[in-house]
Amino acid sequence: MTSPPAALAEARGLELRRGTHLAVAASDLTLPAGRLVAVIGPNGSGKSTLLHALAGTLAPSAGTLTVRGESPERHARRTAFVMQTVEVPRGVPLTVRDVVTMGRYPSTGWFRRMRPVDRAAVQAAMDRMGVADLAGRHLDELSGGQRQRAYVAQGIAQEHDVLLLDEPITGLDLVSARTIDHLLHEEPERGVSVVYTTHDLDEAAAADHVVLMAGRVVASGSPAEVLTEAHLEAAYGRGALHRPTPPSAGGAVPFLDDPVDGAGRR
Amino acid sequence: MDWLTDPFLLGFQQRALIGGLIAALMCSVVGTWLVLRGMSFFGDAFVHGVLPGIALAVVLGGSPHVGAAVAAVVMMAGISLVHRATTLKEDTAIGLLFVGMMALGVVIISLSDSYTGSLTAILFGDVLGVSMEGLRVQAAIAVVVVLLALVLYRPLLALSFSEAKAGVLGMRPRLTHSLLLVMIGAAVIGSFQAVGTVLVFGLLVGPPATAALVTRTVPRMMAVAALLGAASVVVGLVLSYHGGTAGSATMALVPIVLFFTVLLARAGAQAARGRHVRGRGGRAVTAPEFQHAHHGHDAEGGLPR
Repeated sequence: MTSPPAALAEARGLELRRGTHLAVAASDLTLPAGRLVAVIGPNGSGKSTLLHALAGTLAPSAGTLTVRGESPERHARRTAFVMQTVEVPRGVPLTVRDVVTMGRYPSTGWFRRMRPVDRAAVQAAMDRMGVADLAGRHLDELSGGQRQRAYVAQGIAQEHDVLLLDEPITGLDLVSARTIDHLLHEEPERGVSVVYTTHDLDEAAAADHVVLMAGRVVASGSPAEVLTEAHLEAAYGRGALHRPTPPSAGGAVPFLDDPVDGAGRR
Repeated sequence: MDWLTDPFLLGFQQRALIGGLIAALMCSVVGTWLVLRGMSFFGDAFVHGVLPGIALAVVLGGSPHVGAAVAAVVMMAGISLVHRATTLKEDTAIGLLFVGMMALGVVIISLSDSYTGSLTAILFGDVLGVSMEGLRVQAAIAVVVVLLALVLYRPLLALSFSEAKAGVLGMRPRLTHSLLLVMIGAAVIGSFQAVGTVLVFGLLVGPPATAALVTRTVPRMMAVAALLGAASVVVGLVLSYHGGTAGSATMALVPIVLFFTVLLARAGAQAARGRHVRGRGGRAVTAPEFQHAHHGHDAEGGLPR
């Protein structure tokens, strides 16, 4: 019996393009399996593109990428991907249960009937994300936070050992952000590898592993290794980052000049 | 009762009824996805786009169904070519082919001796002239269309949700979209003899759009659309018989009138419900009360956007 690979993903000379635009220049990357991985970087730095490559929806233009030891396309059935923006389709009568049930489609395919195990997975996903009592509601009858929880429920309803989420918490209300944040930290305890993108450095500091992007992989490692002034300035530019103003600072906002440790403390 | 049965006593009237009902079933099933995917303009263009194929068949004495199928393929290839070879949006490509194919059809049909009669029959159908052979072809096409709709339920639902997400879920969105185009083509080709190419559009869009106003799930929308489509055919033929109006046009008019009737009734009911709620206790209902009354417990405690 072969043991599962220790790495979630391995990239060597990985280059990713969106049409003719080079989104991620040649980069090497190793992501640990069964851990919470945060991908950070400015807008347009290639975070979402990297997630699409891991999901198997975007093939590398050069280099190699494997997920759990196989090509991302081959692993796609066990990779759940919660995309950044799914617009509410106007006029389509889709309930929360319909949307979450779609998470079973990679297993059922076009034809196979829903079995009790599928229905149980859908119910469990809705329960975990706190949307079970909204099951009969249409998407356009939900708040933004409720809708995002329904989309995450769709992801975890899928049989998966990899969970990818593109900015899952950005702009959400407190309840929804907390619910999804709990999930991000619970899934690795179940053996699931989680990779998510975020703009929040404090959030990233609480992850097991951080990838800093800026049109390439600038740094990849523990939060303490990655969230340093030198790395952050390489990605965001000098002067772009500031420490929170201490109460006694009298309004002065110093530059971020010291590293962040794994627990999010500076 | 005689008022209802008299229009269907003779053989050609019964064939008209059966042809209309099959067309209504096919168009309602396909039309539901057409409406949900926001492809009504494509559907409109498509029913005009098959005109040159049918016209050529009429002029040369070939099969109108084969002619329509060839024209449909040419039209879809043309739309695809414009869309891929230029930066123009798809609706511009559809518009170009819409006008071009329809004009070509009229030019071809103008070569025939019975220009006006042939054009009217193609555009508006001849429901009272439906033959048994025509019914058999139509029924065979309907079986294929309905089976395809059942097989494609999950991919089409995922595609209606999000094309990108459908791809991630392994639902093959491009193949699904192509098969939907085939279904639309089959429904139009299978129905044009009974209700005409232009009026097929009334059955494709009218019943599903009306059903969308009164249902909350896709399967129910499809079922209600089929019932409304069938009712439109029966009511249309009865009104046509007693009013002496054109059968196909009357049939196609009914679902559109039905849509606006339901729309106005729904708006009236909503306004009345609003007055009733405001009237209770002489004060406006607060947001949490509204939320509780309409949607039960809300985990977030917020109003839907």
